[in-house]
Amino acid sequence: MPATKPAEVLRACGIPCETSTEALGDIVRLDAGRAADAAAALYESGYDFLVDLFATDTGERIEVTWHLRAFDEHVDLYLKALVDYDGAAPSVWHVYPAALYPEREAAELLGMTFPGHPNPKRLLTIDGAEPFLRKSVLVRSAEEVRISS
Amino acid sequence: MSALGILGRFAAMLVLLLVNGVVLIYMLRKVLGRLHLRIGPNRVGPFGLLQTTNDVIKLLTKEDLRPDSADAWLFNIAPYLIFVPSFMAYIPLVFGPTLAVTNLDTGLLLAFALTSLVPLGVLMAGWSSNSKWSLIGGMRAAGLQIAYEVPLLLSALGPVMMAGSLDPARIVAAQSGVWLGFIPRWFVIPQILAFVVYAIASQAETQQTPFDMSEAESELITGFANEYGGMRFGFMYLAEFSNTFIVSAIGTMLFFGGWQLPWVATPAWLAPFVFIAKTYTGIFVMMWARGSLPRFRVDQMLSFCWKVLIPVSLAWVVVWACVQRLWPVVAMAVSR
Amino acid sequence: MTDDPKMAWAITAEGSQFPGPLPCGLRCIPRGVDELATEHLVLNMGPQHPSTHGVLHILVELDGEEVIAAEASLGYLHRGIEKLAESRRYHQVPTLLDRADYVSGLHTETAWALAVEQLAGIEVPGKASWLRALLMELNRYASHLVWLGTFGMDAGAMAPFLYIMRDREMLLDVIEAITGSRMMFNYVRPGGVVADLPAGVDAKIRAWLEVADTYLSENDALLGGNEIFRMRMKGTGVIDRATALAFGMTGGCLRATGVDYDLRRDVPYCAYPELDFEVPLGVRGDNMDRYDVRVGEMRQCIRLIRQLVDGMPEGEFSGKRSRVLKVPAGESYAAVESPRGELGIHLISDGGLTPYRMRLRSPAYFNLAVVDEALAGGLIADAIVTLGSLDIVLGEIDR
Repeated sequence: MPATKPAEVLRACGIPCETSTEALGDIVRLDAGRAADAAAALYESGYDFLVDLFATDTGERIEVTWHLRAFDEHVDLYLKALVDYDGAAPSVWHVYPAALYPEREAAELLGMTFPGHPNPKRLLTIDGAEPFLRKSVLVRSAEEVRISS
Repeated sequence: MSALGILGRFAAMLVLLLVNGVVLIYMLRKVLGRLHLRIGPNRVGPFGLLQTTNDVIKLLTKEDLRPDSADAWLFNIAPYLIFVPSFMAYIPLVFGPTLAVTNLDTGLLLAFALTSLVPLGVLMAGWSSNSKWSLIGGMRAAGLQIAYEVPLLLSALGPVMMAGSLDPARIVAAQSGVWLGFIPRWFVIPQILAFVVYAIASQAETQQTPFDMSEAESELITGFANEYGGMRFGFMYLAEFSNTFIVSAIGTMLFFGGWQLPWVATPAWLAPFVFIAKTYTGIFVMMWARGSLPRFRVDQMLSFCWKVLIPVSLAWVVVWACVQRLWPVVAMAVSR
Repeated sequence: MTDDPKMAWAITAEGSQFPGPLPCGLRCIPRGVDELATEHLVLNMGPQHPSTHGVLHILVELDGEEVIAAEASLGYLHRGIEKLAESRRYHQVPTLLDRADYVSGLHTETAWALAVEQLAGIEVPGKASWLRALLMELNRYASHLVWLGTFGMDAGAMAPFLYIMRDREMLLDVIEAITGSRMMFNYVRPGGVVADLPAGVDAKIRAWLEVADTYLSENDALLGGNEIFRMRMKGTGVIDRATALAFGMTGGCLRATGVDYDLRRDVPYCAYPELDFEVPLGVRGDNMDRYDVRVGEMRQCIRLIRQLVDGMPEGEFSGKRSRVLKVPAGESYAAVESPRGELGIHLISDGGLTPYRMRLRSPAYFNLAVVDEALAGGLIADAIVTLGSLDIVLGEIDR
């Protein structure tokens, strides 16, 4: 376990956050606007590996999850932040280049932006595709799409 | 020579080239199949023998496609520029004591001169297709073939010095008889180093694995031939196999006594068969290498050529020239 | 700026200037390839290309034969598996996951089962854990065989590929005898596995184990023992330790850089704590190291399979399974060491009949992100083998 607790690290940087330990593990909830600062601070404190980055539609807003890991100790930490639909969360690629792809993916599939991303093109879908990981987009068969268009 | 005679000889060359093409494609498929734990073609005709004929029919009946943006004139003539030299290179081959298209004092030079024209056509094909893949393939092919032309020529100099002639017929004739009563007088024995260089350079010259960068399937798909289809592609394919035959045939003439059997006199009727059998053995070895080796990288291959093959073959030419000059002097001194 | 909110994110390319020194020792800001560059050749490698291992499209910026920059363009195989999973019941999801990583489906299935079990608190009988481990090792070997063969093909060696397919056929016969399928297994379910080992399969595995070592040494001699191959692999496609960690690489690609990290040993799951194996490591992180690490892993695989067959416990192959699986609300993350690296399933449940959100953390997706760093500076031929050495499976990258 890294010497300092994530909550203390963030408090030292003046980033307001809320920590909890759930079935998943340690979770830190914070304001989306400070996510990049928080990532940089946590990187310094030993969470040096980004396992994953993804976003979920909670029904009201989009929840972005940064799955960090203190690699040598193998301790996981989840950063979570809520973003409005079509909102923005800062890119963390300059701390974790591993975020380059997942940020592009989350942006197109949830309909949000990651300001600061060096190459913010679509990754998996073509131009004009709906942000279909939103709950408002329904799963339709090819047949249904053909009939409706 | 009468006009009819010339026409007849050309027809014979063409038939030989076409038959060679058909047989070699079948042989390549079967040999590679066996090396790869596969069976190879076995559906069309007995043992799949008619597979190649079917392929030829397919190529002949295919639509002649040309990319819109291609340079039409160059694109159209490139396959012939590749095909014609490899067809002409049959001229100096000696199939028997009296069997050759024509006897030239500088036949060997002609053969090498003709095969060195091929990169021109390849480059034209690559350039005129207006495709990036073809362009890279064409450039690679030209660079490699020009590079490997040098050791190929240098390695042929050893046997030429031994025979004292550039006429293939005389080079072959010089290899009759035996040394020390039991070793066939094949030039491969004293010239083993030159032969190794020749074998490597000829594999590169015919663009076969491990030297097939110009059409490296996993890198450039088919390289310079990317945009070609139908019989235009067929010509390129045929030229490739014809080149394989030619380098193997020249190797046979230079190093393995041409149409002659070892130890016994060769009857005139048997000579062409002996020659073809030797040539095909050479081709088989080339296919063997092709089937089992991975590919060089283009820069490694070029530096191997310029830094290893050319110095070695140059040094060998000098060494052999000294040996041949000094040998009578030494022999005389010893006998005195 | 456009008024269409859907497109807004795509326009914010401005302002991506990065102040100060570049992080993690990166070469340059990974902006991707400038498609309008005039002095360099931009080559579209794929999506139809013999060496892109599926339908990958790589934009390569070339200066002559040298690669200046590379960018992977993904999505040709995107099927929206994560979205589809939200409308499938818990026991139906493995059907989708088999199609994510179609070369080693059993790993994805197991990760899913572990995530669901973790959240629902389902106990797994000991034998099921052993069966899962056995099947995963068999599948890992089969997957590494595919990699070994196609890697040889990338380097221009045709023969080893077909030799390897012969070996793989034997192995797939074994897997088919157990799971009933060669590719889309749907064998591992939350709570256990679908079926016990059928009669006679033990002898089949042992017959394969008899020849596996010999076959592997043969294939290794054809590739790793070939001087041409070694010349091409040494010193090309170097990915150093820092870059690998920065890009979230895992699996053989990470171990080739010398990082001693294997989930099977470090975060044990299934039967692995009871098994004895080594983790092969590389030094420089070049193509040769990745090759050696994977071949070493295959030897360890044989060792593991031998232990798993010998020590297979008696007992139930599955716990009690209800017809409708209900998972309490919450989140869980479970990861397995797939042939390509850490394959994780992040599951979010709202207590309903279907998962609320399923996120597949695909290892090859993160391993592929390094292409720009790894390919730049090499030749086209190096780019092809480096791409091959990353062992990508587009099904799991595009999902």
